[in-house]
Amino acid sequence: MLELLGTIGGNILSLPGILGLALGMMTRNFALAGALGGLVGVLETLLFAKFNFGNIEMLELTVAILVGIAAGTLGCAIRIKGTTV
Amino acid sequence: MSDSKDNRGRLRRLWDWFWRPTAVLSVGFTLIVGFLAGILFWGGFHWSLEATNTEEFCVSCHTMETNLGEYRETVHYNNHSGVRAICSDCHVPKEWSHKVKAKIMAVKDVYHEMLGSIDTAEKYEERRLHMAATTWKKMKQSDSRECRNCHNFDYMDFTIQETRAADAHQKAIDTGMTCIDCHQGIAHNLPSGYLEEYEKVVKSLGEEPAPEPKQSSIFGVSALRAYIAGNPDAAPER
Repeated sequence: MLELLGTIGGNILSLPGILGLALGMMTRNFALAGALGGLVGVLETLLFAKFNFGNIEMLELTVAILVGIAAGTLGCAIRIKGTTV
Repeated sequence: MSDSKDNRGRLRRLWDWFWRPTAVLSVGFTLIVGFLAGILFWGGFHWSLEATNTEEFCVSCHTMETNLGEYRETVHYNNHSGVRAICSDCHVPKEWSHKVKAKIMAVKDVYHEMLGSIDTAEKYEERRLHMAATTWKKMKQSDSRECRNCHNFDYMDFTIQETRAADAHQKAIDTGMTCIDCHQGIAHNLPSGYLEEYEKVVKSLGEEPAPEPKQSSIFGVSALRAYIAGNPDAAPER
């Protein structure tokens, strides 16, 4: 449980959370925002695994993608709510 | 009318104010202030995180006194070269996301400090094997990532190592072993039954125990472990 929480926290404060949010704020399309965030999650996991698929843990990849999707969607919601044009 | 607005709750008014378009600030001003605020926030956050990496912070809890005393007797604390590895060098990853994960997981240390789970010598000894096994598992899973921040097979000159060390490291390279496979107890005392517990840890990860040496290796794994654990009489069998 603690490991899962740690992985989620690590991803929120890492590329999927921050870049995912930023990319999500660049569109009003929720699906596109989520996809961009998820892509960042995949790329970050690959980056930390030094692009070696053998080093990738399924839990870390799944959490990174889910956090990326959530951050991208949140960014999109902020864009819709926070802009008038 | 303004009266109807005043009937809104404080949170609702704050929410509306937060999302209201600004009419008095330029885009440039907002961007510059946001950028500076971001730097200040991130700098402060990172500084705080690094402050929790200091030895003073790690050992500020009463329950850390035992392992601090043990660590101070080892080569990682005092050595001829004057290079010291402090707690965070071995227990906190350098990479950002792994570091944040470790910091979040370390909340359990504060919880157990408050509970007093290991606040007496008896309780500490009772939990020692479990705590050691948890750390071994992390190290085995990460291929001893924190050890490799300083130690790297590629940087080792086997010709100036002791013959036994050079042979053991060559064997580790040949058989794909990781640092913690042999170097348990390098900074803290080992509990009895640690070898059996380590084998359980390895099996729980779905891996095989330390592989049999290849032809180029000349020492047995058990003898190497005994030698590293400080038993010079356990001359490795050839």
